[in-house]
Amino acid sequence: MSSMSRPNRSAGNRRGSAGAVAQPSPWLPVGMLIVVLLPLLLMPLAAVFIFAFRGGVGAFIAALLIPDAQFALRFSLLIAFATAFLNGLIGTFAAYVLSRYRFPGERPLNIVVNLPVAIPTVVVGTSLLLLWGPIGLLGRWLDPLGLQPMFTPFGVLLAHLFVTFPYMLSTIKPLLDELETTYEEAAYTIGASRWQTFWYVTLPALRGGIFTGALLTFAHSLGEFGATVLVSGNLRLRTQTAPLYIFAQFEAGNIAAANAVAAVLAALSFVIFFFLLRYTGNGR
Amino acid sequence: MKYVTLAPYLRNVIPLTLLSTLALYALWPWLPFTREAIAPRTIVFYGFSILGSVMEQAIFPAFQAQWYAQTGEQVEFISSFAGSGTITNQIVMGVPAELALLSLELDALRLSEAGVIDAESWHDLPERGVVNRTPFVILVRPGNPKAIHDFADLTRPGIGVVHPDPLTSGGANWAIVAEYGAGARADPDRPEAGYDLLLGIWRNVVAQAASARSARTQFENGFGDALITYEQEALYDQARGRLQAEIIYPQRTILSEHTLVVIERHTALAQRELIAAFVQFLWSEPAQRLFVEYGYRSVYEELNRANPQFGAIHDPFMIDDFGGWPQAKRDIVEGIWKDRVLQELEQ
Repeated sequence: MSSMSRPNRSAGNRRGSAGAVAQPSPWLPVGMLIVVLLPLLLMPLAAVFIFAFRGGVGAFIAALLIPDAQFALRFSLLIAFATAFLNGLIGTFAAYVLSRYRFPGERPLNIVVNLPVAIPTVVVGTSLLLLWGPIGLLGRWLDPLGLQPMFTPFGVLLAHLFVTFPYMLSTIKPLLDELETTYEEAAYTIGASRWQTFWYVTLPALRGGIFTGALLTFAHSLGEFGATVLVSGNLRLRTQTAPLYIFAQFEAGNIAAANAVAAVLAALSFVIFFFLLRYTGNGR
Repeated sequence: MKYVTLAPYLRNVIPLTLLSTLALYALWPWLPFTREAIAPRTIVFYGFSILGSVMEQAIFPAFQAQWYAQTGEQVEFISSFAGSGTITNQIVMGVPAELALLSLELDALRLSEAGVIDAESWHDLPERGVVNRTPFVILVRPGNPKAIHDFADLTRPGIGVVHPDPLTSGGANWAIVAEYGAGARADPDRPEAGYDLLLGIWRNVVAQAASARSARTQFENGFGDALITYEQEALYDQARGRLQAEIIYPQRTILSEHTLVVIERHTALAQRELIAAFVQFLWSEPAQRLFVEYGYRSVYEELNRANPQFGAIHDPFMIDDFGGWPQAKRDIVEGIWKDRVLQELEQ
């Protein structure tokens, strides 16, 4: 586990130096920050919970037990698990290749794999439709065969894999870059194969990073809206994710139904965020 | 690995337990021992936005009960409700809709132009595909402080009108023909009467929303003095004691007609009988009565007496009075509203 401490070394230093310098009283700037954050972040979040419980706990639970809401939550969770798992594998592999091998075109490839962070999600949805949809570049050939990935759970998964791809990569790659190759070289010298080295030396050092990356991916997938709304077809009990359910119910004026699911999503993301903080903040 | 202390052990156990609980919850309906033995039959139905409540609360359950009584089979409805233009675009892009109820025939025409359905295939359905109707009315603030009694009052200076945007909203297209038609029919001898009323109302438009539904939200949030919208939406809220406005019935207004299309290439052969039964059900008396109960006007005039909320309209008219939607779109929405009214307002 000793290698886990390395990425956090800088955090430790920062903490140390802050303590050494005498500070002016923090209360004025802190108070100002809270005044700014109150309407920007804290009050909107509070509103979701206040509205959710406005009709009482019974109404809140009844709104959650609507079959559509149950399906939407379950479907979102399943997609999030699948996305986290698949991007966990592909992201770790991508990070390993990009960190351990030097090859021409490495920089452009590095940029491409991080691109989804910058692309608007609605553009991702459009581009998937224009590739896989019935009038798309590939979909045109698949459609006559009866293959239609868009507007199915598979299409939603494709969108989520695209949108969340960089999160795994960006947590693992820095760890790999910092992980000293001497450990791996030592493993080779005692006759370990490349695979054995990865499995017994590299991977254990990445465990915390993989967990963090998977949680980040999971959280983003759970809340994904922009790409999903285009590729899912928004069918209740089929392809309607929790964020789409919230949007549809809000549009239809069923604020209570929308809010109950919104409160659950918010609570889930708080829990995930809490674990992220635990693992990255004092992960030693 | 050295020795296991309790704290780090717990640190892994808590998130892992939570995650597995979540996974179990998510997978629950699909686990082998929780699955229903017989998968129910399904109908994939897309509808324009205001239809959501009547379909989900009344029409679907009634048909499920009828089909179960007849065949012993469970039917499940897989549905999606959004703006008429939005669902039309989704169907063109390939969503697996078997049936779609659109807010105006123009969207059905777009589907046939895209090759999704046969041209005018909906005309072979009962009532040429029209499932129900609702007139366009004016909503004003409680007590009607600005004394608005007809479309003509909306042209007075100082009145703010909230209107959906005809580029994206089906309801807005209906509203424009309602406004133009009300003017033209009030003064049939003067050719510019329709244009004048339309221009007068549009001088006072203070907010344009993407859909009829969002225009209503803007109005409810305090924008403007009047909103032009579907009667059904207002009646639905009135029946539930939620209407924070008064309904004003214009002397002359249009009845919007909502068109059903069957997307045959998405219906498997085994589905044909079920789909046909549901289509027939929509025009059956029990279904039409349900529409009336939810504030839609039935295609069978005699059923409309059952809802005392329906207001009287002196001179109701239909899109066919303007030669049908293709002609009305070209002549009124494009030719008059877009090319003349908007041009005039820009100057």
